Amino acid sequence: MNPIAVIGTGQTKHSKARLDVSQPELIREAASAALQDADIGPDDIDAVVISNMEMFEGRAFPELWAGEGAYAFGKPCVKVATGGTSGTSACIAGFHQAASGEFDTVLVVGFEKHSEGHTQTGMALVDPFWDRAVASGALGNFALSISQYMAERGVTEEHAAQVAVKARRNAANNPNAHLQMPDLTVDDVLASRMLAEPLHLLDMCPQSDGAAAIVVASEETARRRGSQAAWVRAATTRHDQPYLGDLDRRLVTMRALRDAAQAAYTRAGITDPLREFDIAEIYEPASYAELAWYEALGFCKEGEAGRLITEGVTAMDGELPVNPSGGVLSTNPVGASGVIRVAEASAQLLGRAGAHQVAGAATALATGYGVYAWSDVIVMRTEKP
Amino acid sequence: MILEGSIRLPFSYAAGVVGSRFLVALRDEQVILGGRCSDCGTVSCPARSMCPECGTHVDDLVEVGPGGTVEAWTEMPGKPAFGLIRLDGADTALIHHLLSGEGKWQPNTRVTARFAPERVGDINDIEGFEEERGAS
Repeated sequence: MNPIAVIGTGQTKHSKARLDVSQPELIREAASAALQDADIGPDDIDAVVISNMEMFEGRAFPELWAGEGAYAFGKPCVKVATGGTSGTSACIAGFHQAASGEFDTVLVVGFEKHSEGHTQTGMALVDPFWDRAVASGALGNFALSISQYMAERGVTEEHAAQVAVKARRNAANNPNAHLQMPDLTVDDVLASRMLAEPLHLLDMCPQSDGAAAIVVASEETARRRGSQAAWVRAATTRHDQPYLGDLDRRLVTMRALRDAAQAAYTRAGITDPLREFDIAEIYEPASYAELAWYEALGFCKEGEAGRLITEGVTAMDGELPVNPSGGVLSTNPVGASGVIRVAEASAQLLGRAGAHQVAGAATALATGYGVYAWSDVIVMRTEKP
Repeated sequence: MILEGSIRLPFSYAAGVVGSRFLVALRDEQVILGGRCSDCGTVSCPARSMCPECGTHVDDLVEVGPGGTVEAWTEMPGKPAFGLIRLDGADTALIHHLLSGEGKWQPNTRVTARFAPERVGDINDIEGFEEERGAS
């Protein structure tokens, strides 16, 4: 892959309902912020990639009618949709476009406006034959795997609640984040409404309206601009079996994420992820997911995730701050959530993360997750390859 | 301005060669079929036309269950519990309702399928799984 870098990022203010703007207008907010951050204009963009969940808003083909928000007229524009990983997959598609040499500068935009549609309908459309009997959506599907994970890895409800609290406290330093709960406690999480055994309301991500964008540039353009750049050192993706029961102990083994991480680490020369990464933005749809990902991403041995969160290893002042932005647990416009991970990791390396900046961040990890069936892993550095 | 509306989404999906055999056996014989991979030997249930372990085309269907064990479970308020049930003779798990348990389900609980009295060729021809009688 030719060297490429992220040179600018932009996000909307994410919230429960952005009724003040249409979908193209929401996209434009993030896209224009990213161009401004990269200090370029719309004419400098050679190609556009859009990420959005299928049917969540009850409208198809956003690359057609929402492309105008991403300055797509007169340019190549494609949509990428791979469930929860849509955003990271769109970023990877943008990386490949820029790395191919065919396009110099690529704009990637992800968006979701949950408030306009019916997410459960979109999830129920996944399989008509086998899984629809219980039709439990993302929430039930995730909850189903947790009982196995807890039993095998010694994770408790308190460990999960600590993750939920860390996320919301981090989000308090991120003005774009949807949930603002700076005073949240473990007891609050445990006392919140039971959604699906053992998942409480505050263990889960919210549904958000929002958009995020990144500008990807070729080596020549990134260098010519003379500013800092977030160089993409590895980007890997793994697809896996779609049916919940077909893979043995999905959340426990999480083989798609494990395999993607191993491939990315090998490519980027990462041998001790906990020490070598300065910051990680990982796609955790629920508190328990973050714990399982610690193990799958090699931050700790199997069964040690609970210790990591309890000892503050992944807190803002810990060895590896995980999700300084507040993560998916605080902000989840699904089609944008993967782009947000990459935008946040990039902003940290560019030194533009504001109040949630990790000082001196030089090596960053971003991941995407989609219903266990898709995993994306991206490694970035301030150092050019 | 906010425009209110709803969309109707009719469908008629083909269950396919293996899926149809599974559903017909369920409807006509109250039999649950798994698909045995000729290459790696994995028995999938519900029967898959492509082996979930190695991707090989599957056309050897074998009877599994109706007994099995609960691998994982969850419950949403106001709805029946559901779980991943590994049927006897199968290597993969079926997602379905858990009908009889009170409170939390223990891993490895023995269950058996309860079939619907009127069956139409749908996964809900199995009403769900209940604890095996006499199991402790």
